[in-house]
Amino acid sequence: MAQGQIEKGALGHELAQIQFSRLYREQGRAMLAYALRRVGDSEDAADVVAETFLIAWRRLAEVPVGAEARLWLYAVARRTIANLHRSERRRTRLGGRLAESLRTELATQPAPAGEAAEALRAMGELGDEDRELLLLVAWEGLSPNEAATVLNVSSLAARSRLHRARRRLRALIEGGNTAAHRSSELDTEEAR
Amino acid sequence: MREVEAALAAADPVDRDRLDQFDLGATEAELLADIEGEQSASPFQIETSRRRRPRRLALAAVGAAAAIATAIAILAGGASEPPSRAYGAELVRFAESTPLLLLEGPGWRVEDVYEAPHGPYWPRGSSGEGSMEFVTGKPVPDETIHSTQVGKPQHIQGSSALYMKFREKGMLPPAVRQRKVELRWSRRSLASELEYAHEAPHLHGQHWVRLPVLGTTADVDTRAEWFVNQGGRSNRQMTAYWSEDGYLLELKAAVPDLAAFEERLAWLTKVDSQAWLGAMPPQVVKAADHDAAVREMLRGIPLPESFSPSRVPTAGITTSRDQVQTAVIGTVSCLWFRQWGEARRSGDRARAGEAERAMSTYERWPLYRKLDRASRYPAELIPELVAAMPSGHYEWRPGKRRRILPQVEALGCAREGIPVLPWKQRRQSER
Repeated sequence: MAQGQIEKGALGHELAQIQFSRLYREQGRAMLAYALRRVGDSEDAADVVAETFLIAWRRLAEVPVGAEARLWLYAVARRTIANLHRSERRRTRLGGRLAESLRTELATQPAPAGEAAEALRAMGELGDEDRELLLLVAWEGLSPNEAATVLNVSSLAARSRLHRARRRLRALIEGGNTAAHRSSELDTEEAR
Repeated sequence: MREVEAALAAADPVDRDRLDQFDLGATEAELLADIEGEQSASPFQIETSRRRRPRRLALAAVGAAAAIATAIAILAGGASEPPSRAYGAELVRFAESTPLLLLEGPGWRVEDVYEAPHGPYWPRGSSGEGSMEFVTGKPVPDETIHSTQVGKPQHIQGSSALYMKFREKGMLPPAVRQRKVELRWSRRSLASELEYAHEAPHLHGQHWVRLPVLGTTADVDTRAEWFVNQGGRSNRQMTAYWSEDGYLLELKAAVPDLAAFEERLAWLTKVDSQAWLGAMPPQVVKAADHDAAVREMLRGIPLPESFSPSRVPTAGITTSRDQVQTAVIGTVSCLWFRQWGEARRSGDRARAGEAERAMSTYERWPLYRKLDRASRYPAELIPELVAAMPSGHYEWRPGKRRRILPQVEALGCAREGIPVLPWKQRRQSER
């Protein structure tokens, strides 16, 4: 190699590592939160995050720049979670230290009570797409347009679906409250 | 529907404070190592992205273990010393085709490099901008120029726009100014920039020439003076414009005459990454040295729980030390003020008091004293904000008070992913 020329292979690899580092540092927390909110335990969440960034590593050239990188990663994480649920075997666990750190440092909140618990219960009765749309907006803080990108639907479809999902959720929450109240009244009457 | 949203928000299983404090840097190195070692094909099929970026460099197979460990050490900013190849990050510049240029005239050297900050919360297009300063002899000090209007406003020829002439006072002598050359790069269009430059007022008339530079041709404004008492014999200001690999390049210099400007253009040389980084002076922080530089600047500064060196943004492959200093003090201050704001809203007096006490020590921070001596932003803002913390308000006019958090945002908090205002926090997820 002549002096001054560049070994593109080795440099390309280091370039990728620099880009990966930047992506991980800028988006890692958001992906951790996304995974923790949707899977049962911290080890599974670490799996999801590690798999998501594995895919990002393999497709680094496709990852958008700026804020859209997060939406791209959400879409990947979403599919990763879907496959995790379907998979009958555990993949080789990546990111062991990540899993350990999540266990020790990032304990989830205690189980919610009251209206929050009702909301979670009602969410379970929604369809997958509606539920995910609501959570992307409520928990991940995305706009309807951004959520549309993650779900690969049009903005118009996302907005109208979001509106319907909120109405349905409200009805489920109120219906649950009514049922709970009626159940409570019956219990009280039987106790007499 | 607000109650539905509120109920959902309350059901969030993630402890946001703990997430905020989670140190990503500590897990990054191992994760990358695991990913690179992963041999099995992913069973996950993902859709082809609707937007493709052209692959500028093919990803090579995993390199030698030493090279990987080296790169990971750089990435992780770990305890190990940076290796001799301490400039892996310059490859970002190389791969993005930003020209690696030096002014290789006798006795000339790089004095400073500035790269525009960029990130998810910065405006699009802010990446890929920057400038370099070359000097010969002693460093050229900053100028404090006072200008006074001369005559009445006049129309720019062929336009209804008006311009005014100014006389300057305080400019350095021409012989001093001619010891400096500034090179700028950006993603702006050459055609647009030339149009703008041609339309700008020229106090001594316009005179453009075309000169060779780096195998192409630059359009040179030979009468780019700003003031009426500039531009005399041996006191000229010139700017060259050309494009390279999608970048607009501008070379600005005070020169005695056109021949001297031609000489400076001829001195511009494309170099490889090693030569380019080797030319960087101590006041330029290379990306690989960023975390170490940040730790040194943090001496004597009380840090909130949510702080980690990775929170201090890097502008690019090289950053002027001034830029890093501003970023460090901005990041620390934004995190303390955010803690203060959240604590005040939730009634947590202990945490609010902790933030107030921490920020009140700013005069003892070596970094603050350095910025204050140099009258550099945000040194003048911090005392005002700290003084207003106990009340939460500052007086912007006699009898008129304002809350301080909107003013705190002037430290650039939201841009760095650390918004302090509640509505910005709702809109923006953090780094």
